[in-house]
Amino acid sequence: MTLPARSPVPGGPVASDPAQVRRRSWMLNRKLWVSLRAFGVFFLVWWLLHLWNGNPLQLPSPLKVFEALWGLLRDGEIASHASVSTLRMLVALALSITVAVPLGFLMGLSRRAEDLIDPLVEILRPISGIAWLPLALFIFGVGDTLPVFIMFYVGFFPILLNTIAGVRQTDPRLLAAARTMGVGRTALLVHVLVPSALPTVMVGIRLAFAASWAAIVAAELIGSPSGLGFAIEWYRQLLMTPKVFAFILAIGVVGYLCDLGLRALQHRMTPWAEGTGASS
Amino acid sequence: MRNTATSPKLRLSGVTKSFVAPRTGQQTLAVAEMSLDVQTGEFICVVGPSGCGKSTVLNMIAGLDKPSGGTIEKDGQAITGPGADRGVMFQDYALMPWQTVEDNVGFGLRHGTPGRDLSKDQREQRIAHFIELVGLRGSERKYPHQLSGGMRQRVALARLLANGPDILLLDEPLGALDAQTRHILQAELLRIWGETAPVSERKTAIFITHDIEEAVLLADRVVVMSSHPGRVREVVTIDLPRPRANTARTNPRFGVLVEQIWSLIRDEAYRAIGGDTPQAKPTEEATA
Amino acid sequence: MKTWTQDTPAFALMRNMALPVLLGLLWQLWAMTLPEGSPAPAPLKVFESLGDLLVGGGLLSATAQSLGRVLLGFAAASVLGIALGLLMGSFAAMRENLDPIIESFRPIAPMAILPIAILWLGTGTPTALAIVAYASFFPVLVNTVHGVSRVDRKLLLAARTMGMSRLTILTRVVLPGALPSILLGSRLAMGVAWTAIIAAELAVGSKSGGGSSGGIGQMMFVFYAYNIDLNAIVVCMAVVGVVALLIDRLFRSAERHLIPWRP
Repeated sequence: MTLPARSPVPGGPVASDPAQVRRRSWMLNRKLWVSLRAFGVFFLVWWLLHLWNGNPLQLPSPLKVFEALWGLLRDGEIASHASVSTLRMLVALALSITVAVPLGFLMGLSRRAEDLIDPLVEILRPISGIAWLPLALFIFGVGDTLPVFIMFYVGFFPILLNTIAGVRQTDPRLLAAARTMGVGRTALLVHVLVPSALPTVMVGIRLAFAASWAAIVAAELIGSPSGLGFAIEWYRQLLMTPKVFAFILAIGVVGYLCDLGLRALQHRMTPWAEGTGASS
Repeated sequence: MRNTATSPKLRLSGVTKSFVAPRTGQQTLAVAEMSLDVQTGEFICVVGPSGCGKSTVLNMIAGLDKPSGGTIEKDGQAITGPGADRGVMFQDYALMPWQTVEDNVGFGLRHGTPGRDLSKDQREQRIAHFIELVGLRGSERKYPHQLSGGMRQRVALARLLANGPDILLLDEPLGALDAQTRHILQAELLRIWGETAPVSERKTAIFITHDIEEAVLLADRVVVMSSHPGRVREVVTIDLPRPRANTARTNPRFGVLVEQIWSLIRDEAYRAIGGDTPQAKPTEEATA
Repeated sequence: MKTWTQDTPAFALMRNMALPVLLGLLWQLWAMTLPEGSPAPAPLKVFESLGDLLVGGGLLSATAQSLGRVLLGFAAASVLGIALGLLMGSFAAMRENLDPIIESFRPIAPMAILPIAILWLGTGTPTALAIVAYASFFPVLVNTVHGVSRVDRKLLLAARTMGMSRLTILTRVVLPGALPSILLGSRLAMGVAWTAIIAAELAVGSKSGGGSSGGIGQMMFVFYAYNIDLNAIVVCMAVVGVVALLIDRLFRSAERHLIPWRP
């Protein structure tokens, strides 16, 4: 006496249809080929420019750069600087999240809190994290705290703004539905508001990461004795240009990998919200 | 001591609702002086043109909105807010997108009042029972975005029933479905409501729809509303025999009742779509 | 979620300023508890510094210098970014081939390019311009490509059937259609550019011993490392913020005026 368990309507995860699987892998292969070709051309042009430029201090040959990169990888220097920077990044991100998310919930739920705190936020937000460098240098000096502070500041605002937005766009129907089931206020917050806002918060976190990763270079360049930003400046002063290039590459790659990681986290934590991702 | 046989399950007395526009301060009367008694175990359908306040009334009964005037009483006591005793099925199902079918069905049991006196095992059993009842066994781990409209509908229904409310409030629950699925679910709804059981075992249900045939099929009484402002035009008693699922539509009385109700709202329906009301045409389309 | 009961403009202003003013007061009180010669910044001293810097301290000229560089760098990047964006958006082959390169450079922050820029261009204005241009380029490009993709295909077909040349289509159909996105990209790019110039001037200032880079960023660095004056630094920070706000508002109102058809 029960209804048929499955509706004749598509609605499942990845299709297991063999034709689609084949097409998908062909498309990936094609993309790979095009990327390789593009990079091939890029390196060729680079090499030609290097020959034309004639000054290896300014524009080293791509081969030299790869040599330097390989050497740095082997002796672990890239790994150590990269891990220092990444660690700072994670600490700063964790701090930003810890402060901005609860504040965002408060401001999203309470008009009063928002009216009170928002002006301060709007005054501070246009002052970029970089502008804080001199003052922060004075307060914290050169070291670990400085980059973390700058990154915390830079990452704070996207997360705050996105959390507020996430809370605000919670579907009121969901709240109404929960109330008609006798769900109390705490449970409403924990079991409806938080999950509902989570996709937008995750987008904010990815934006915060992108902004912070850009800021870390400046912070480390000027105010730290270690890290990827420090490294590129250090080797520039030593006029070891291939290593400068190598570290710049490392900055890009680590940034890309971290974003991939965040994207994967986003997918795991909020699988129902496809199509709301922001590319950093 | 109340005589439970005659006192209504739900009583609306002179209920009015006005809305005040926030910026202009202009008042609009959405519902004017509505009075209605609903007996235990009755199936009431509410039909009417758009804007007649059907959903507003439902929201007030659910406790999500407060009447501007008049009272709403359930079992003789005024309603002060939402509660699990009056379960609601919303037009767009209002399923939590981040929860599986099983979590959604069990939401009220796990986080609200219905499951308070149950042990964990009892709760799980209850959830499984209602998932089975609506025919969704095997889909417990799916997310709403992976389900079709009809399946989401059934999840919402299972959730509603799992919370064990004594009044069911359904706001155009089948509106977004195709006709075939709708027919199937109408039959299911009647069965679950208890059409084949004695009256005392049936739940009280208030069902909003703009499909007049659906209303005549399902209801014991049909409340016909008119709009601007919303009020009860007439209450039509549906005297078709139960069970109706497979027999009602071929009963000649069915068409008569549908026409009777349609004639009450025809003029307003035409006006609602911006057309002129036709004068005394011999045959009309019966769809709302 | 209640709103304040009184909603007069005066009350609103008071409410808006409540927290900042309170914090300012606390800051001033804290500063007054410090010993006499302390370099710590205090609100009253900051205002004093503002006055000094405005009159003969070179604040306005430094700001103008920074802004000038931003505009120049932004203009160069926009021309290149819009042109390339229009082409990449219209020709899939171009997009496919250039995309991997561009997407690889995007995670590389403008500041990471700074050492190379210094190697190539020294420590003066050209370096600052290069950083700003690099920073502005990507938002403009990405948004232009996106804008082109949103142009209604039917408009393009209609233009082809009217015998318009490809170039005319590009400039007369695609460009206006992509304009909302282009303007959005420009606004974002200006924001990024402003941040980048400050960073570049700061960094160059710190590397060249307070040399000839000029601008607000460099001014800030001088007040940090040479004529140590934290109050002046705070003034500069405030200027950075105010200019950022003004740029944003300006671009938003330009957006509204140039594309009135957009809600």
